[in-house]
Formats: sequence, structure tokens, C-alpha cells
Amino acid sequence: MSAGLLLNATICFAITISSFAFAWVLARGGPEHNDKSKPALWSLIILWLLVGLTYLPTTVRMIAAYLDYPQIDIIMYYVAAVPFSFVAVPLVFFILYVIIGDQRISGYISFLFVLFGTAYLVLLYSSGVIGPTITPLTSLFTINSDIAINIYLIGLFVIPTAMIIGLLFLIFLQRMPKRLRYRTALPLVAISFVFDFMLTDMITLDDAMQLAARIFVLIGTVQAFLAYFPPMTLQEKLGIQKYEYNLYKKDDDQDFDEDDEEEATINV
Amino acid sequence: MSDDIDVKLEQEVAEFYQSLGIHQGPGDIQYRLILKVLSRNEGKVTEFSEIREYTDKFADKGSIGSKMKTVFQLEGLAEKVKRGGYIITDKGLTASNFLKDTTAFYKKNKRMGEIIERMP
Repeated sequence: MSAGLLLNATICFAITISSFAFAWVLARGGPEHNDKSKPALWSLIILWLLVGLTYLPTTVRMIAAYLDYPQIDIIMYYVAAVPFSFVAVPLVFFILYVIIGDQRISGYISFLFVLFGTAYLVLLYSSGVIGPTITPLTSLFTINSDIAINIYLIGLFVIPTAMIIGLLFLIFLQRMPKRLRYRTALPLVAISFVFDFMLTDMITLDDAMQLAARIFVLIGTVQAFLAYFPPMTLQEKLGIQKYEYNLYKKDDDQDFDEDDEEEATINV
Repeated sequence: MSDDIDVKLEQEVAEFYQSLGIHQGPGDIQYRLILKVLSRNEGKVTEFSEIREYTDKFADKGSIGSKMKTVFQLEGLAEKVKRGGYIITDKGLTASNFLKDTTAFYKKNKRMGEIIERMP
């Protein structure tokens, strides 16, 4: 029993809650989005739900490790592997749909990642895992299949990450208003953060690195919140606040006359 | 030959520039089409009738003739080599290259606009 495991459980729980909350907030704002952005919005909601669903059993795992229940720990590891292996699917759909705008093609290609995820799961379940190794900070498992790790690295992470980087480059190479750039680039950076540190979290064999990765996943979730709901101080600092204004009703012609009128009054 | 010039695209591009307040040059469909036809015939004489094949939808013969005189000939973008026959100059080719850039800018801007529209 170590306080480090409780800290780990708390971080996992914070990731779970913030991911679910973010998905809920995005879903609640659904009607405000236009028809073109709705497929991307729903894929984003599913992505955050899957992140939350990955870290919910992981929270239980950490508590089980703290209370010394290795059986629950191993069951929860297998449960967490399910949402985790399909995290790449909504992400790939999101990026492809945003870039090419074709729901059907994006759907087909993301289906390929369903196959990758399934292959990973089959190999993971059939080969099993070695562990748990309980350390003062975390509980670690070693995947007992090199092919599963390769599928996981190449199929589930390298390709989607390359897609995010590609989309980011596309945005950074364009001249666009600061507000738009912030609004489009920061969610991608946040997703990339969460996604890449989830990878580190799942394959690392170093307890400190796993804890650090989880902290960064949490930071990524907060970043995603800030991308969609930037606080006023941040907006002012970055110069991205939207100026609230009402249209000036008077005719422009009259504006020019006003000075003359004043002069005329003075002269009289 | 007529499939070289996409009149619909040129009209879209011109409307885009007009929406930015640019009504002359890249925002003028007549200017775009005339310059496109002239540059397509680089090194050859362009017949006035050939230009009118594309411009008749947008303007009458008189205004195209006037544009040829007051813009293209006056600014040295094209030279009249015979009755109803014009040839593009080097300066005209520079203008044509600029026009290509305006089309590329329009396409890039449109593509990016669509990407942003799809971002939730």
C-alpha cells in the first residue's frame, strides 16, 4: 500500500471525469453546429468517451493495486484494453473527414483501424500479459506479444499521429485570423497530447514514466477544454477575444454632415 | 480548345474577389476571360471572335472592344496586329501569371474555408 498508487488513481479518475465532462459539453452544444461539422463533432465526442472509458477501469486498477487485489487489477487491465484499442478509430475519422470532407471514405478508412484494434485485442487476449508488477507508484503489465505491440505502435498510433501532424501543418501554413488558428490548432494539439501519452502510458515499463504520462494526458484534456472554452484572461492575452458590437444605425452620409451641422450652429 | 478555360471557375474566382472589394483586374470576369484567351494563344494572333466566344455570356461586343482598347492596349498587355486580331505582350503574360496566382489563392482559401467549416 503506497500513497503513490492513490495519487495515480486520483489522476486516472481526474482524466475520466474531465473526458466524460468534455464529451458531455460537446454533445450538449451539438445543435449549435452546422450539418457539415456534425460528423466531426460526434467523432470527437466518441473519442473523448473512449478516453474516459479507458481511464475508468484504470482508476479501479490502481485502487485494486493499492488494496492488493491482483485479480481485479488484471481483469480491469483487459477491460481498459477494449476502449483503448479503438481510440484511433474516431480520431482517424475526425481528421480524414475534416481534411477531405467525405463521410463515406473517412468511414471506410477508419474501419481499417477497427480491424487494427481488433487484431491488437485478439493478440493481447490470446498471448496474455505478464504481471501485475506493483511498484510504489503504479501497477505495470507487460504485453506478452511482439506482434500486438507492433500493431499497436504502427497501426494505432504512428499513422493517426502523422495525420494530426499533417493537419496541424496545413493549418499553420495558412494565413488565417488568430482566433481561428487558436480554435483549430489547439484541439489538435490537445488530442495529440492525450493520444501520444496514452501510448506511453500503455507500453512503458517504468512506473515514474507512466505516472508522468498520465499527468500529461490530464494536461491534454484540460488543453482541449481551453481550446473550446478559453477563459477571458487567456483570450485577452492571446488577442483572440471576439469584439462584441452593435451595428451603427445612422446613415454614413449623415455622419459627414454632423460636423457641418455643429459648425453651422456655432456660426449662428 | 474551349475546354482549356473553365468559365464557371473564372466566374467563381471573379465573384470571390468582388466579395473582397476588388472589382477590377482579378475581380473582373471580362478581364479574366480576355487575358486567359490571350495567354492561351501566346505567340499567335487571337481573333476578337475567339474572345467573344467566352465573353458573350457576360458582356456585349461593345464593352469587350472598349476593354481591349482602354485596358489591354492602353496598358500594353496586348497589341493589335490586324483588324480584330490581338497578340499578348510580355507584360500581358506577367498579368496572366498573376491571374493564375489569384486562382490558386482562391482555391487554397476555399479549401481552407471548407476545412474550418467542418471543424466542430
